[in-house]
Amino acid sequence: MEKLLLRNIEAPNSHTLELYRSRGGYRALGKVVRELSPEQLIGEVKASGLRGRGGAGFPTGMKWGFVPKDSPKPKYVVCNADESEPGTFKDRLLIEKDPHAIIEGTIIAAYSIGSHTAFIYIRGELVYGANVLQRAIEEAYRAGYLGKNILGSGYDLDLILHRGAGAYICGEETGLLSSLEGGRGWPKVKPPFPATHGLFGCPTVVNNVETLAALPWIIDQGPAKYAALGTEKSKGTKLFSVSGHIRRPGVYEVEMGYPFRQFLEQDCGGVPNGRKLKGVIPGGASMPVLRADEIEGVRMDYESFQAAGTMLGSGGVIVMDDTTCMVKAAWNIARFFAHESCGQCSPCREGCHWMEKIFSRIENGQGRKEDPDLVLSISGNIQGNTICPFGDAAAWPAAAFIKKYRAEFEAHIAQQRCAVLASE
Amino acid sequence: MDAVKLTIDGKEVTTTKGTTVIQAAAEAGITIPHYCYHPKLTIAGNCRMCLVEIEKMPKLQIACNTQASEGMAVETQSPKVLAARKAVMEFLLINHPLDCPICDQAGECWLQDYYMQHDLQASRFAEGKQHERKREVFGPHVVFDGERCIKCTRCVRFLQEVTRTDELTVVDRGDHSTIALFPGTVLDNPLSANINDICPVGALTDRDFRFRVRVWYLQKTPSICPGCSTGCNISVESYQNRIARFKPRINEEVNSHWICDEGRYCFYALTDVERITAPLIRQEGGLVPTDWKTALGAVISVLSGAQPVCGVLSGRNTNEEAFLFAKLLRRLSPQARLEVYYRERKLTEVEKILKSPDRSPNFRGARDMGVSDDGFEPLLSDLLDGKFRSAYFVGEDLLREVAQGEKVRQALKKLSFLVVQDTHLSETAKLAHVVLPAVNFAEKEGTYTNRKGRIQRLRPALVPPAGARQDLEIFSLLLARVGEPIRRATPGEIFLEIAREVPRYRGLTYESIGNLGVQIES
Amino acid sequence: MAVEFSPEARKRFAAIVGGYPKKEAALLPVLFLAQEEFGYLSGEAIDYVAKIMGISAARVYSVVTFYTMLNMKPIGRHHIQVCRTLPCALSGAEKITAFIKAKLGIDVGQTTPDGKFTLSEVECLASCGTGPMMQVNDAYYENLTEERVVEILRVLK
Repeated sequence: MEKLLLRNIEAPNSHTLELYRSRGGYRALGKVVRELSPEQLIGEVKASGLRGRGGAGFPTGMKWGFVPKDSPKPKYVVCNADESEPGTFKDRLLIEKDPHAIIEGTIIAAYSIGSHTAFIYIRGELVYGANVLQRAIEEAYRAGYLGKNILGSGYDLDLILHRGAGAYICGEETGLLSSLEGGRGWPKVKPPFPATHGLFGCPTVVNNVETLAALPWIIDQGPAKYAALGTEKSKGTKLFSVSGHIRRPGVYEVEMGYPFRQFLEQDCGGVPNGRKLKGVIPGGASMPVLRADEIEGVRMDYESFQAAGTMLGSGGVIVMDDTTCMVKAAWNIARFFAHESCGQCSPCREGCHWMEKIFSRIENGQGRKEDPDLVLSISGNIQGNTICPFGDAAAWPAAAFIKKYRAEFEAHIAQQRCAVLASE
Repeated sequence: MDAVKLTIDGKEVTTTKGTTVIQAAAEAGITIPHYCYHPKLTIAGNCRMCLVEIEKMPKLQIACNTQASEGMAVETQSPKVLAARKAVMEFLLINHPLDCPICDQAGECWLQDYYMQHDLQASRFAEGKQHERKREVFGPHVVFDGERCIKCTRCVRFLQEVTRTDELTVVDRGDHSTIALFPGTVLDNPLSANINDICPVGALTDRDFRFRVRVWYLQKTPSICPGCSTGCNISVESYQNRIARFKPRINEEVNSHWICDEGRYCFYALTDVERITAPLIRQEGGLVPTDWKTALGAVISVLSGAQPVCGVLSGRNTNEEAFLFAKLLRRLSPQARLEVYYRERKLTEVEKILKSPDRSPNFRGARDMGVSDDGFEPLLSDLLDGKFRSAYFVGEDLLREVAQGEKVRQALKKLSFLVVQDTHLSETAKLAHVVLPAVNFAEKEGTYTNRKGRIQRLRPALVPPAGARQDLEIFSLLLARVGEPIRRATPGEIFLEIAREVPRYRGLTYESIGNLGVQIES
Repeated sequence: MAVEFSPEARKRFAAIVGGYPKKEAALLPVLFLAQEEFGYLSGEAIDYVAKIMGISAARVYSVVTFYTMLNMKPIGRHHIQVCRTLPCALSGAEKITAFIKAKLGIDVGQTTPDGKFTLSEVECLASCGTGPMMQVNDAYYENLTEERVVEILRVLK
């Protein structure tokens, strides 16, 4: 398969403007600012079928279309580079290896809504990535892709790189905006939505790194070519980050609809050390885990993962072999969410910690018979009742681990110790 | 305004466009349980207690942030809603201490109330509760209990949005989130105690009121704050004939939901005094108790003969009292100079949100009643210049209130006759020839007219001590002695008299004033 | 001693603030600058940032306590942050942490007596395919083994 998103990353100096341009970089931008009206551009992106790669999978062109054209307020575009979902490291690769694709995509997105100030919000820990991006932004300014009168088109855009300071919740788009406004990364109550009331109360579009990085290719090669890839509803290609008990971990670009089992066993080399697959989380830690027996026939697209009872999410594939204690894995994830809950709304603030405490107790031999059902109940009480999707993200995996590996939880509780690790 | 029709629990409700579901429900008499929502603060949406079911929406929605729209069907009692409410209650209570017996909020705690209405289950929480800061003093009026806090952020938003003083904030995150001051600072602004009122739980309590009395024993009387001429609507809450606290009473035309700290605690200075319970008269060696007949007789006989006379009424006297006082002194001496005590001070920006620059809640009403000639300051300077031979002071300790106290003392000493009518033997009263024991603002009925011309009702919350008499009664008795008997001397009847005689008050009655007052043209 | 930016930092502050459409948006980069200047964000430093940003100290305090990268207490010269989240845990992060603890003689959350190292466990650092991993100050160290940890600690001055 031809690589769209990872087309440049293996080239030496892939992060430089010179290399990027030598491979057709910024050609799409030239076309956009010289030949396309914002409406035409939105039309092209809609035609490509591109959906948001941050996790929710919302159609990108439609999202841009929600921004009011006649608003007298300034409009903003923010590239969400706050990649923090456990199991996900694809954006980091793009940031470090192909920053100009992200920058070009961000400029294109900004043009589509008539924005003159854009931001890249990068998680604070990625210092190296931030340096790469900052240098690339400076190169782009010098080359006339940013600043006043871009490529002689009369269109102006400033791009500001903004570093986060350590908070998973800032990956949620309104948490990100609160953070970018200089506040705590507290998600905002919706409505209103960012398209009309985003950054500083102005119309704002927030797009994920991978979404934006796909744009130059789509514009350059034409939306039809992109739409021809993938499935009917999941178009194009998607990056998957693979980690855990797998022979060849890393970032893979996969055409949507690719068979999941084949991907794990052949592309990634399968589970190493002669071990057997026990479970896999396909879309980052916030998505429900699949048992080994559940991946048969699953394809790597939004619809197929959903039909299997989980979600494509961020494409963070975490593989667990049969030495994995699922109680401990569930506890690990619950601890992550308890640590990262912003603490704003009651169900998430209290529920995440409650679940974490229960998992910790079970793992440490203090489980009670009623605990699995209690976790299911708490998870159900969080779901759908919180300010932002974080609540669901914390509740889903907790419930899934219990539902899928209930016997293991019950054994853990009955024996007051780990049966899996004890058998080692 | 566009009208919007929706149904809430099957009941058809009409409201205006832009109204939220929680407001529309409230207008229709349906209370949707909530903690973080407050009509005067921005929407936080964090407590999740007001989740309701809305037709065609897959998820429950928070009523505080959902705008009512045409044809919307809202359910506030569906099984799904009740389950969510119960779940939220459980979440809020898992780390909440079971300390209701020693919590001062008990009886007016929304956690208690909603637990009884919506939860009523034994705790499923088997873990150790999160420990937090206890009894942290935030400022002169506010003490914080972190374990009871539900992080609704009402206090934080009040300080950001109403006072704009920004003292409190949320720090840390997750279940460690807590309300805090920036280290080394105190919460001390002129409206600070309002956050105790809006805290729905026992996290913020009033340092003055707490542990004084259980709230269910309080007797609540709607009244008007006597602190200044803003005329904030209050509830005077008393126990065993003592005021325990003032609470704001909502009146959007005056004070919205708030009162200032100065007003809130002003009752101490006005009521915590050693009461005089018999008239006093000056004899060789000082003031001695006497009977009312002797005292009133002395007032009439000496006052009418020692002219020129000046009369100073307290700004805390009611319109009805002012009306009779003016009548009385004009009758005694048509040239009498009358004034209501009125002095201004500088206010800070935060004080200006509610406070008026005076301490005379009814100065305007008193002037309307004719207790006004050239203003208080000219009268004071004439008094200091020795231009009067006698004076009648009501309810104001001029010696203490006025900066030139010593000069006032000298001036008063030169008077040939001084009558002081007050609740206690004030510094001024000690110089008097006759002292008449009267009652305080909380013991009387009447009306105040605030700075902006709003007439509002003062209601008696306390029983005055035996021996003291209503100011109104004292004036009536004196008027009777000068040949102008008042036949019906209840405050309501005198107000009817006012409504006949004072043009701007024409046609008003206590009933028409009601609980929220009436605006006369300014 | 009054906490204040050096002339050099003041220039950087002006440049940072000038780069944003609204001043308040510059709070995080200004806090990073302050942390770089003062080592950590003491109460005085927070108060100073509040003054130069024209916002309340309470607000700055609230922001500082929200983010894990902003420290209100002094930390060691090298801040070792081992990722503990699931992918790294599956790859043996616990053993690496235990090894570092034993090697430095400190527990998680502590600083060596010489002030050289502070050890923390942190959540996912987007390095899941190369676990176990740790971040020391700004740098990532991936595919850790005990041998590599020994080497890294030896090189850090």
